[in-house]
Amino acid sequence: MSTNLIDTYVSEVGRRLPRKTRTDIEAEIRSILQDMLDERSQKTGKPVDEEMTLEVLKSYGDPEKVAATYQGERYLIGPRLYPIFMMVLRIVLLVTGILAAIGLGVAAYQTTLTPLNAFETIIKAIANFGASIMTVLGNIVLIFAILEWALFRAGGKVEVKGLPKEKEWDPRSLSKVSSPNQVKMGETILEIVGCFAAIVVFNFYPQIIGFTPNLNSVVESGSWASITFFPLLSEAFFIYVPFLTIVWVLTIILDIVLLRMGHWNTVARINSIGLKVVGILIAAIMLSGPSLVAVTTETLTASLGDAGAAQILIKLLFQFVHLVLWLSIILGSLDVIRIIYRQFVNKETPFVVPEKK
Amino acid sequence: MIQYNTVNGEAMTNESLENVILELRRGVIVLAVLSCLGEEQYGYSLINDLKEHGLEIDQGTLYPLLRRLESQGLLQSNWRIEADRPRRYYILSDEGRALLPRLKEEWTGIVSMMKKML
Repeated sequence: MSTNLIDTYVSEVGRRLPRKTRTDIEAEIRSILQDMLDERSQKTGKPVDEEMTLEVLKSYGDPEKVAATYQGERYLIGPRLYPIFMMVLRIVLLVTGILAAIGLGVAAYQTTLTPLNAFETIIKAIANFGASIMTVLGNIVLIFAILEWALFRAGGKVEVKGLPKEKEWDPRSLSKVSSPNQVKMGETILEIVGCFAAIVVFNFYPQIIGFTPNLNSVVESGSWASITFFPLLSEAFFIYVPFLTIVWVLTIILDIVLLRMGHWNTVARINSIGLKVVGILIAAIMLSGPSLVAVTTETLTASLGDAGAAQILIKLLFQFVHLVLWLSIILGSLDVIRIIYRQFVNKETPFVVPEKK
Repeated sequence: MIQYNTVNGEAMTNESLENVILELRRGVIVLAVLSCLGEEQYGYSLINDLKEHGLEIDQGTLYPLLRRLESQGLLQSNWRIEADRPRRYYILSDEGRALLPRLKEEWTGIVSMMKKML
């Protein structure tokens, strides 16, 4: 009976331990418990019985706590990443809130508002907002948990040999990381927010990207319902969204790492160039692929009642989409050149003291 | 009201005192364990040995510590069957043996420094 109790206790501890060390620790605890029982039996002059086993197990402690002592402190998001995690979370929640408000505005704008459906629209918007907050939270926690895991794997040596041997901090390094290696905080946060907004909009609120050609009908009829709202993007566009999302997510991860490091290094630059090149390639493929605009001259003519105006509008639309794609290719390429230039040409920029005026 | 505050304050002081004592003891555990493992011992005999020297260590602290010191290369261990059951014996590794005199020296330095300070 007492052996059974020990078995149960040991396996209770064991199932909370990592598989790698489980058998070894279980065997050790079992051996210690038997030593304790032997000693107690000798002291009291009684044979080991169930009551004695229970006393020993009680003094050894709750299996959960015993298992925890073998594990050390573990974090999903540790103290090193926590401040940046909170900063990103605040920014991203704010952006999600703003986008949800825009989404609500658009939804209200697209329907005839009566007290009943206004209520319904608001309830739906709240439900959508709740769902996107959960998605956003989940994604950010996931990204940071992966980063934490990667940092833990990379910096496993921090724990060893009594005192942690951290790299000695040299105040002179402050001057070394001045331009061009210093990460520009504002620019990077803006990029995180931009990528995040793009992820949320294109994945969760694609319906808000559109246009209305006849806004003045609102003034004439006095009702929002008179508006025809055209979704701008075609199905062909949404084929690219998963790929773009991957690029945006990776860009966010890189930006977070950069914010954490505070300065650019070769690896970060290579990664950044890689992401930009992929982005440029996607833009180029989009430019040469099927039309990204969902509206056709026919649908627009039906709505406007003027074929000439519809044609001009469609042409403008196509040109606008092309312009956006060309701009992203050109700006992306300029960025790549700038990054390469900073890595190789401008490596040894001396620290310049600003002149006194 | 005043009495309540005093009682509360005392409780707080005791708690803080215990925490500081715990921290102080935690600092010497590694050195104590290493100095007892010049000859091999199994976990339970080590805990009793330390108790006889006046240092009571919680089992939940000692056994994981032994494993950590082993993974750091300061100790080595082997399983042996005695009286029909396996026991794990720990002993200083070569690295641990080389490190111990330096740690003792460090400790003597700390003690004399603190004596001057207190």
